[in-house]
Amino acid sequence: MTLHFQNQFGNEILVPEQSYLLNGDTLTIHRFKYYISHIQLIDEQGKKVKLPVQYYLIDAADSNSSMIQFNIPVGKYQSIQFLLGVDSTRNLSGVQSGELDPLHGMFWTWNSGYIMAKLEGSATSSQIAGKQFTYHIGGFRGNNNTTRVITLPFYVIDKCITIVADAKKWFDGPNELSISKEPICHSPGALAVRIANNYAYMFSILSK
Amino acid sequence: MKYQKTIGVIIIIGVICCSWIAGSNYFKPTPVKFLVPKGWPEPLYDFKSNPLTKEGIELGRQLFYDTRLSKDGTISCGTCHQQFGGFNTYDHSLSHGYNNSLTTRNAPGLFNLAWHKEFMWDGGISHLDLQPLAPITAENEMAESLQNVITKLQAEKEYRRLFKAAFGDEKISTQKLTKAISQFVLTLVSSNSKYDRVMRGVDTFILPEKLGYKIFKKKCVSCHTEPMFTDFSYRNIGMPLDPFLKDVGRMKITNEPSDSLKFKVPSLRNVMRSFPYGHDGRFFSVMTVMEHYRKNMVPDPRTDPLLQNRLPLSNFEIGQLTAFLHTLTDSSFLRNPNFAAPGKGVSTTAPVDIHN
Ligand code: HEC
Ligand code: HEC
Repeated sequence: MTLHFQNQFGNEILVPEQSYLLNGDTLTIHRFKYYISHIQLIDEQGKKVKLPVQYYLIDAADSNSSMIQFNIPVGKYQSIQFLLGVDSTRNLSGVQSGELDPLHGMFWTWNSGYIMAKLEGSATSSQIAGKQFTYHIGGFRGNNNTTRVITLPFYVIDKCITIVADAKKWFDGPNELSISKEPICHSPGALAVRIANNYAYMFSILSK
Repeated sequence: MKYQKTIGVIIIIGVICCSWIAGSNYFKPTPVKFLVPKGWPEPLYDFKSNPLTKEGIELGRQLFYDTRLSKDGTISCGTCHQQFGGFNTYDHSLSHGYNNSLTTRNAPGLFNLAWHKEFMWDGGISHLDLQPLAPITAENEMAESLQNVITKLQAEKEYRRLFKAAFGDEKISTQKLTKAISQFVLTLVSSNSKYDRVMRGVDTFILPEKLGYKIFKKKCVSCHTEPMFTDFSYRNIGMPLDPFLKDVGRMKITNEPSDSLKFKVPSLRNVMRSFPYGHDGRFFSVMTVMEHYRKNMVPDPRTDPLLQNRLPLSNFEIGQLTAFLHTLTDSSFLRNPNFAAPGKGVSTTAPVDIHN
């Protein structure tokens, strides 16, 4: 089975350095990256079938990163579940390798922990240098946890399933996020959690 | 006939073994046992995930003293962590980093790290292996990217050899780099001060030291707990916020207002050699720290309950306490040639001045 993550901004395909409209504001996205792990399938009886734990870093700038392939036992599945982010164990176990190598720039060195997802760009409404906005969302402890369990129901089960990741939801999810008021998030805390509660809604399965 | 055959087989096996040993597949680093000083608690570092070996320690030592870990090739870990000061930055309130920048905190001494649960004054780093990533990438320290460090080292034949000897593979990765540095710094164990010898029953305190120890046990051990001389907790000792550095300490990590101005209790081992003091080096001498405890501190509701009424100390007590603190200096540690830069003897001369 192949999972294909299709990065979008609203209804448009997200391509780094391209511009998108957001409520009268023009945004250029520089970076959009997030971790996916702990993939499980839920069969018709509601039983969870866990896949071997693997971490995937999806990067809008690298199309190879958006394809995840794995073998699944034959059966009928009603939904898929995965974790957006990196579980607390991996946050606390020292230096990791592979997709979790701190080399990928998804790790905070001064306050140990993974950046679960990041969205960077510039916007006409931004009031800071370079008209930038940078949202590095992380935090794995207690109330500051920014990992989110995502469950998506299947309508048709196919060999390849396309999951849309809509970066626009970071701004217009349940919590309003205004670039002019809050252009930066670089540490765990209340703002990171608010944004995480938004990105929890960014995924959907593309129906064909 | 039969014998000849057997001997022949043995010889062939022998030849195969020898060529295998001589060949590039042979990898057998020399294990090193981590010795826990008598009476000390079990270390917290997970040695199973990074077993100490002679080759790993040697590689770590090379890396610790290698300025190529910094962007402009001038700064190594050892630049800020100097052996004669117990691996602190001797005589500097703040350390000097890349391009004449300053760190925002005083570099603590490095020893007995296997017993630390968290690192940095605010405990922001959760694992010793993660520690090197912070100085390497910080703009005001070594200002280099991990990828560049790895590329630079990979290009050196000597490093490829050392990595292969330590980890069986010459391909350098973040994980191997940081594990090697951990191996070296884990060997920095300071457990042979006069205090330790007295505890082991092979030395005795002179009177002022003995009186000082008594006072210490009454007024200081609840935070500076033996045998580490820290309980590794975070405490607010009534040091007012520096208006320029605006360093709120532990609260930076937890976002809890109750953690405002809390900093990790520093060990007092080798303290007479590691001036200046405090998280931002604001205390020039142990005497100024004592004056802080008895007079200058500004207690507020978040200051530690033990210090709500400051910490009364008479001049006499300060004298005896100071005599006791001297017994925590571990000269064999400060002069151990195994901890010095490779190829160089231990610096016994006055510390270099890196101000200019
Ligand atoms: C520019 C000076 C500088 C350099 C270079 C530097 N350090 Fe440090 N180090 C510091 C300072 C300052 C602190 C305290 C920082 C804090 O608490 O925020 C520190 C803290 C530490 C600690 C935590 C100690 C404790 O008690 O919590 C360790 C371990 C450490 N450094 C190891 C290293 C290693 C290994 C390197 C080389 C990769 C290195 N340092 C390079 C200045 C430096
Ligand atoms: C309530 C806990 C507590 C008590 C009691 C306490 N200390 Fe401390 N001590 C600390 C903390 C925390 C620091 C670091 C403060 C900072 O820099 O923010 C510290 C710092 C120090 C330093 C500076 C060390 C360095 O390397 O920077 C010295 C010296 C010291 N204490 C000596 C003493 C002595 C002597 C006593 C007893 C008279 C004592 N302390 C009692 C918590 C305590």
